[in-house]
Amino acid sequence: VWLAGVEADIVAASARADDRARELEVAVVDDSSSQSPGRSNRLRDLEAVAALVDEGIITLDPAGRIVGWNRGAASLTGYSPDQVRGEAVSLLYTEEDRSARLEQRELEAARETGRFEDEGWRVRSDGRRFRAAVAVAPVLGDDGGLTGYVKVLRDVTARRADESLFRALLESAPDAMVITAQGGRITLVNRQTEKLFGYERGELLGRPVEVLVPQRLHGRHVMHRDAFFTGPAVRPMGMELDLFAVRRDGSEFPVEISLSPLRGDEGLLVCAAIRDVTERREQQERLKRQRDEIMELSTPVIQVWDKVLALPIIGTLDSGRAARLTEGLLEKIAELQAEVIILDISGVPTVDTLVAQHLLKTVQAATLMGATSIVSGVRPETAQAIVHLGIDLGRLRSRNTLRDALQLALQIVRERAGAADAAAHSVTGGRP
Amino acid sequence: VSETLPILRIGDTLLVALQGDLDDIAVVRIEEQLTREVARTRAAGVLIDVSGLTVVDSFTARVLARVVGMIRLLGAQAAVVGISPAVAITLVELGVPMGHLDTALNVEQGLALLRRLRGEAVRGDDHRLD
Repeated sequence: VWLAGVEADIVAASARADDRARELEVAVVDDSSSQSPGRSNRLRDLEAVAALVDEGIITLDPAGRIVGWNRGAASLTGYSPDQVRGEAVSLLYTEEDRSARLEQRELEAARETGRFEDEGWRVRSDGRRFRAAVAVAPVLGDDGGLTGYVKVLRDVTARRADESLFRALLESAPDAMVITAQGGRITLVNRQTEKLFGYERGELLGRPVEVLVPQRLHGRHVMHRDAFFTGPAVRPMGMELDLFAVRRDGSEFPVEISLSPLRGDEGLLVCAAIRDVTERREQQERLKRQRDEIMELSTPVIQVWDKVLALPIIGTLDSGRAARLTEGLLEKIAELQAEVIILDISGVPTVDTLVAQHLLKTVQAATLMGATSIVSGVRPETAQAIVHLGIDLGRLRSRNTLRDALQLALQIVRERAGAADAAAHSVTGGRP
Repeated sequence: VSETLPILRIGDTLLVALQGDLDDIAVVRIEEQLTREVARTRAAGVLIDVSGLTVVDSFTARVLARVVGMIRLLGAQAAVVGISPAVAITLVELGVPMGHLDTALNVEQGLALLRRLRGEAVRGDDHRLD
C-alpha cells in the first residue's frame, strides 16, 4: 500500500500545477481512498502526475537503481531519462556522500520508518551542485514486499541563499533581535541578544519570550503579545511608555523595542528589535536636571526684609518659567510667612500681553495666600506698552525702582503689624 | 464632614474650619450653623479656614462668596485663610474669580486682616488690598 506521506507530497505538488492537474489530483485522491486498487493503475497515475509537476520524481528499484525519471528530475539534474535509466541513484550524490553511502542509508531509513526526509547537496550532470529537499518512501507490493522506492526532489538553493542572507542580516544587526512564534516561544535570536541579555542562544530558544521581561510586567506583556498577534503591524512597542528588559542575572535596564511581523512557512512570527537605552536615558535625566537648575537660578526668591520677599525677574517670561516662578514664590510665602512681595521686572526685555497675563496670575495667586504684591522696575516704554495693549493690571501697586518698592513694602508691613497689635489688644481686651 | 461645624471663638472673632468634601447638605449646614453662631455671639469677624478641604474649586469659591455675603449682612467681617500654594495656582489657572474674597496666609495674619477691614468699614472705605 502506498504511503500517505508521499501521496500527500504529490497531491500538494499537483495542486501547485495548473488547472489541467485538477482532474488528476481528484483521480489520485480517489485512487488512494479505494481499498484495493490495481498496481498498474497506480503507476500510471503516478507517471501522469510526475509528468506535470516541477518537482523531480524518481522511482527506484529495491536496489536503488533508477527506474522512472520525470521531466522535473530531468530539468533539475540535467540528465535525460535515457541517460540514467538503470543507473544507481548515487550518481546524483557528492563524492563525500557517495563514499558515506548516504543514498543507501536514506533508502534504509525510508524502509524502516516508512518515510525519510532530508536536505542536502546534490550534483548536476554538468558537475554544479544544487541544494535539494528530499523525501523518500518505500513502494510496497500487494503482498507487502518491497518493490522499490519513490523519491521526490525539490531545488531549495534559492531559499537557502535567502536564509543565509537573512541570518547574516540578523547577526549583523546592531540591535538584539528576538523572533517569537505565536504563543510567545522564542524561535530565533541573534548574537546581540546573547551579549545584551547574558544568555547563550540555546538557553533562550523554545522558551517564552517573557524570560526577557521583568517579572512584574509579565501579565501585561502576555496580554499585549496576544493582541499583537491578532493585529500585527510594524510599530514601536509601548509608545510613550518606559520599557524595561531583564538580563539573565536579574538586572533590569531600559529599552526601546520595535516590532515587525514576519510571515513564514510556519505561520506568523514576530521580530522584536531591542535596543539598550540606558545611556540615552541617563543623558536625558542629566539634561533635565541641568534645565531645572538653570530654572532655579533664573527665578530666585530673596527675602529682603522680615515678611518681605523680592523676586527679580530677568529675561523672557514664558509659561513654563512663569509657572515655576509662581510655584517657587508661593512656597516661599508659606515658608517665610511673607506678607508683601516685590516683583521686579526691570530685567524683562519686553512686556507683552502674554507676559502681563503671567504676572497677573502670579499676583492673583499670591493674593490668595494673603500676600500683597508690588511691581517695581516698570520702564517708561513698558508703561506705554501696557496701557496701549489695554492690559488691565487692576489696582496693582507699582513703583519705579526697587528702592521705592521696598519702602512701600516696609510701610505696608508696619501698618499691618500695627493693625495686628491692635487686634491682639482687642482680643486681650475682649476677654472677660 | 462631621455633623457639627467646628467653630472656635477667639475674642470677638470666630474661627471656622471647613473640612472634607463640600456637598449640598454640608453647605446648607455650614450656612445655617455659621450664621446662627455669628448672630448669637455678635462676632465682629469670622476667619474661614479652608486648609482642611479635600477640593477647592469654583464651587467652593461660590460657596465661600455666599457665606461671606451672609456674614457681612450680619455686620461682621470675613476672611479666608489656609489656601495652599497648590490650591492658589489651581484657582488662578482655572480662572476662578476670588477677587471679592479677602484672604490671609494663616490665622495670625487673618486676625490682622480682619482688624484692618473693620477699620476700613468704619471709615466707609470700600477698597481692599488688591
